[in-house]
Amino acid sequence: MGINSLSFKNLRRRKLRSILTMLGVVIGVTALVVLVGLTTGMTNYMKESTTNIMGDVMIMNSTGGGTIMSQSGSSFLSPEAVDELRNMSQLYNIKEEVQFFTEFNGTSIYIVGTSDWSQVEINGTPGVVISPTVEAMGYKIGDKITIEDQEFTITGTISEGAMGMGVLVLDTDKALPLNDNKPTSLTANTRGDPEVIKDEVENTVDGITVSTKSDMSKQIDDMMSGLTLFIGGIASIALLVGVISIINIMLVNVTERTREIGVLKAIGFTSREVLGSILLEAALIGFIGGVVGLIIAAILLQIAIMLFGSQIGDIQLVQMLPVWLIAGVLGGATGLSVLAGLYPAWRASRLNAVEALRNE
Amino acid sequence: MNDQNNNVLEFKDVWKIYQMGDEKINALAGVNLNIQKGSFTSIMGPSGSGKSTLLHVGGILDMPTKGTLLMNGKDTSTLSGKEQATFRRNEIGFVFQRFNLMPQLSALENVLLPMIKPDLEKAKELLDKMGLEGKHNKRPSQLSGGEQQRVSIARALINNPSLILADEPTGELDTKNAEVIMGILHDLNKKEGVTIIIVTHNPLAAEFTDEIIEMRDGNII
Repeated sequence: MGINSLSFKNLRRRKLRSILTMLGVVIGVTALVVLVGLTTGMTNYMKESTTNIMGDVMIMNSTGGGTIMSQSGSSFLSPEAVDELRNMSQLYNIKEEVQFFTEFNGTSIYIVGTSDWSQVEINGTPGVVISPTVEAMGYKIGDKITIEDQEFTITGTISEGAMGMGVLVLDTDKALPLNDNKPTSLTANTRGDPEVIKDEVENTVDGITVSTKSDMSKQIDDMMSGLTLFIGGIASIALLVGVISIINIMLVNVTERTREIGVLKAIGFTSREVLGSILLEAALIGFIGGVVGLIIAAILLQIAIMLFGSQIGDIQLVQMLPVWLIAGVLGGATGLSVLAGLYPAWRASRLNAVEALRNE
Repeated sequence: MNDQNNNVLEFKDVWKIYQMGDEKINALAGVNLNIQKGSFTSIMGPSGSGKSTLLHVGGILDMPTKGTLLMNGKDTSTLSGKEQATFRRNEIGFVFQRFNLMPQLSALENVLLPMIKPDLEKAKELLDKMGLEGKHNKRPSQLSGGEQQRVSIARALINNPSLILADEPTGELDTKNAEVIMGILHDLNKKEGVTIIIVTHNPLAAEFTDEIIEMRDGNII
């Protein structure tokens, strides 16, 4: 019968009080995990979807900025550069991608050339696919559509993800002539270490930038880490409030149990053991609150995936709840709770046994 | 005479002085007292005569302001906080007026609490000896006052202490239960040689003991 089992029993003794104290931690942890989980999920999803389609390297015009956010810009690779790249033995499985805006019926339309139709959710068949915005202009499957004086027959419509834009998706080889055969980017696999080949390619061909998968991941990380920190900071305030309520409740508990603490000392427990048992009790509140908060957060995130998953793509719960987040939140909630218990525990351990026993 | 072999406790000119505002209170005023191994002593006296303080100092719960307390021949003033706790755990068993059992623990768990290595059989045996068969798993709130005090005696005995210190052990009990408790303490002293000191107001309880010490104003008369 150690003194530590008392900590467990003490939690059960005042169930409502313990539950209400834990609730503060639960709310804090839930808010933190849901918000950070959502941004982390977005980051992972963005990384996976970019690196999945790009092969080992992505090559762009260096004035195009070389970031994934600017690839829809107006800089393209010259046909000469493309020829040079195609002749490099280090590169294979080279695919051209082209994306550009053009004039269409007095408005602007985004032309996407793709070689991988699995990336596009469509109704109908691949070939010439329009977004709902273009459909709203009176076009349907089987109709003719004219872009840059070229006539195409519509084969399908985009079912998801066009975000209200006028979009036309074509095979790359059909889209390239519309842009004077200038691709936006090239993706390729490499023979050898992508980082080494990146330097070789950049030194051989003028005016291009090569991004490897890790470059891409880093860009996404840079972009999202600031956001994650900001959101995490705000959610941490909720957790902090929960932890402060632990200080309050543990002080009440210690005052209420003054006499018991005197008895513990009289029957041979040291001040340090008394201190440890109060800290353990605080740690338990934090840990159990953390576990419950994590479970609620996981349920909420799963609901979010079921509600919005179809719009942002195929995202999994494991992407939103990485191990570092689970471990960090549990460790953080427990550690902060121990800190919160320090002052009440110190007060308890300092109690004079005789005074404590006299306490009525 | 080598008194170290016979004396469990030796008070040598022990003072305990409390500061109450501007006034100094001598709770103990130069007490000299030897408690022999196997003795059964009661300390009597009016409230404020220092008898509880004597018990607390004797139980190393409180340190003397001046003077020396030897326990089994060892000077207790040199003990660290941890050593004091170890002494209390191994050498002293406390019995309180208000039982002071842990309300969240069963009778059996209360008895096991002071043990570092829990010996379930020994705890059960002690409870049975106290006449608490079938009540091992009851909480203190489910037991009568007399039963709770018997649990607390079992708790005091669990580590085979050299000394039992009981502060008004019958103070919360009716006459019948008081006699049962004093009978148990008497048997422990006579049959097993446990050294016992009780502080009491109750002359009936004091009658069970071999020696009665009277206290007035912080000293023995």
